[in-house]
Amino acid sequence: MSFLKLENIKKKFGDATVIKGVSLSAEKGEFVVFVGPSGCGKSTLLRMIAGLEDVSEGRLDIDGRDVTYEEPAKREVSMVFQSYALYPHMTVFENMAFGLRMAKIPEAEIKQRVGEAARILQIDVLLDRKPRALSGGQRQRVAIGRSIVRHPKIFLFDEPLSNLDAELRAQMRVEIARLHRNLGATMVYVTHDQIEAMTLADRIVVLRAGLVEQIGSPTELYDRPANIFVAGFIGSPKMNFVSATVLGIEGGAIRIGHPSFVGGSLSASPRIGGPLPKAGDKIIVGLRPEHLTLRSDRPVLTLTLDLMENLGGSTQVYARSGADSVTLLTPGRPAMQPGDSFGAGIDPDHIYLFNEDGAAL
Amino acid sequence: MRLSSGTFLHALGLTAVVVFSLFPFFWMVSASFKSQTDILASPPVWFFMPTLDNYRAIFAESQVVGAVVNSLIVATATTLLSVLLGTPAAYALARFEFRGKSDLWFWFISNRMLSPIVLALPIYLLALQLRLLDTHLVLILVYLTFNLPIVVWICTDQFKSIPPDIEQAARLDGADQFTIFRKIYLPLGAPGIAVSAIFSFIFSWNELLYALVLTRRAVQTAPVAATNFMSGYELPWGKIMATGTIIVLPVTIFALIVSRHMVRGLTMGATK
Repeated sequence: MSFLKLENIKKKFGDATVIKGVSLSAEKGEFVVFVGPSGCGKSTLLRMIAGLEDVSEGRLDIDGRDVTYEEPAKREVSMVFQSYALYPHMTVFENMAFGLRMAKIPEAEIKQRVGEAARILQIDVLLDRKPRALSGGQRQRVAIGRSIVRHPKIFLFDEPLSNLDAELRAQMRVEIARLHRNLGATMVYVTHDQIEAMTLADRIVVLRAGLVEQIGSPTELYDRPANIFVAGFIGSPKMNFVSATVLGIEGGAIRIGHPSFVGGSLSASPRIGGPLPKAGDKIIVGLRPEHLTLRSDRPVLTLTLDLMENLGGSTQVYARSGADSVTLLTPGRPAMQPGDSFGAGIDPDHIYLFNEDGAAL
Repeated sequence: MRLSSGTFLHALGLTAVVVFSLFPFFWMVSASFKSQTDILASPPVWFFMPTLDNYRAIFAESQVVGAVVNSLIVATATTLLSVLLGTPAAYALARFEFRGKSDLWFWFISNRMLSPIVLALPIYLLALQLRLLDTHLVLILVYLTFNLPIVVWICTDQFKSIPPDIEQAARLDGADQFTIFRKIYLPLGAPGIAVSAIFSFIFSWNELLYALVLTRRAVQTAPVAATNFMSGYELPWGKIMATGTIIVLPVTIFALIVSRHMVRGLTMGATK
């Protein structure tokens, strides 16, 4: 039985339905990440799990118990807020002890639990300080510490790293991953940052406009995105999309025509299956920037260079393929000038195909 | 230390303002220690032989001491009740949606739109019927109607500035509504509560109109006692100034104590 289970959860604010029926489940100890653009409802969904937002329709189970209408405190979940939401008038110790005091835990155990969490997060020297005397990273640790001490069934994180600078964010990301491994806890994490999603998650839930677009492991989402939205969202830099026309089907592979293709066409096999398109149909070809190679014996695409960004060890190349722009990520520093024409190759297994409606083929 | 001309002018301006506002206060206090001759001397005497005669006289003959005690009872009770009743109301107005919220809010504001004298006669008649004339209770009740709106306004605004995330974190930590109010809103709203308490206290302390209308001898308050000197042929300035000094003293002490809580940025570090 799943540890966390959402069944057709809906959320309405007045006439507007912001969560339009989400079902998913998570096993004990799993790290689930909700990812999606702003306004997709990921934070609302998390707050519904926490009990901070009412569930308009549907059912929510935690550890085999229906908690759809349960008080937040009785759900045995804890949450790390984007804003940290520390109690500013209390010391770090009091901040972490507050929940335990509410639960009437004996003082000796409170001391022991807070001390233990503080050691794990390396904030044991800060216990007497007030939040205002802490740096952003330290505040974040206190917020995490506050949720650890309560030994919750589920940890909820609402974009916890978005207020930190890039370096600290990378560091805290690693620490949260380590924490998950050491505690073996079930975590649900909301972010709009696909890198956080890819690196932290056992399972990613991609949301858009209140609906689940796809649920899967990071690798699944990367290799087999269900549609153009997921394909564009997962991976950095973004996947390139080239609109082309189906010329015909040749033994399971689709022959696709586009003026930029070397020889006017290329062949690719669908990876998902389902009904094949007919000749003359529109088709969208997805090419990941990191899969395109500049020095190829058998170039597939002819591109015109627009601009290059030197990243030091690698170069991000912006090029045009007719009306579509194509980005390439290539090692080294290619010697080319804007306006130059060049060929780019790709392993046919790395070509993604989508039909006119955006569904993966 | 060298001062730039800008800093110097700034300091000069500030000094002028401070002297201007504190001079009447200084004049009152110094006159309370002068003899009637020194007070009326022209040009004014700056160095004089201080005397406690005025204080001795008012403690001996007038009702000033009793009046100050009455004022203390009324002002303290009003302030405590205003804060006790006003802060939960402010919390509700700041954080909850309920039917009639905006009407209630307007009602609080409209309470202060009315000139107090408009209600003087109806309230007198009410007090007469209820046999409350010349009691502490009647003044406390009347002052409460004027002070509650102030407490509610200031505290609602203060509570709204507390990030809602903090309340939600407390809810997840298992705190109930009342605990959240007590452990989060009261301490974090302290600056606003302090300001509104000072306003309440000062208003109740200084109020003259209702105190004149609703009390006789038993519950005479300090401002009423001060006006008692305003009769007869000669104005005993020394006694009036001594009375004034005694009247001002408790409010000043109260304001000094409470102003400790009037610090900005109490919620700093909670969120970013």
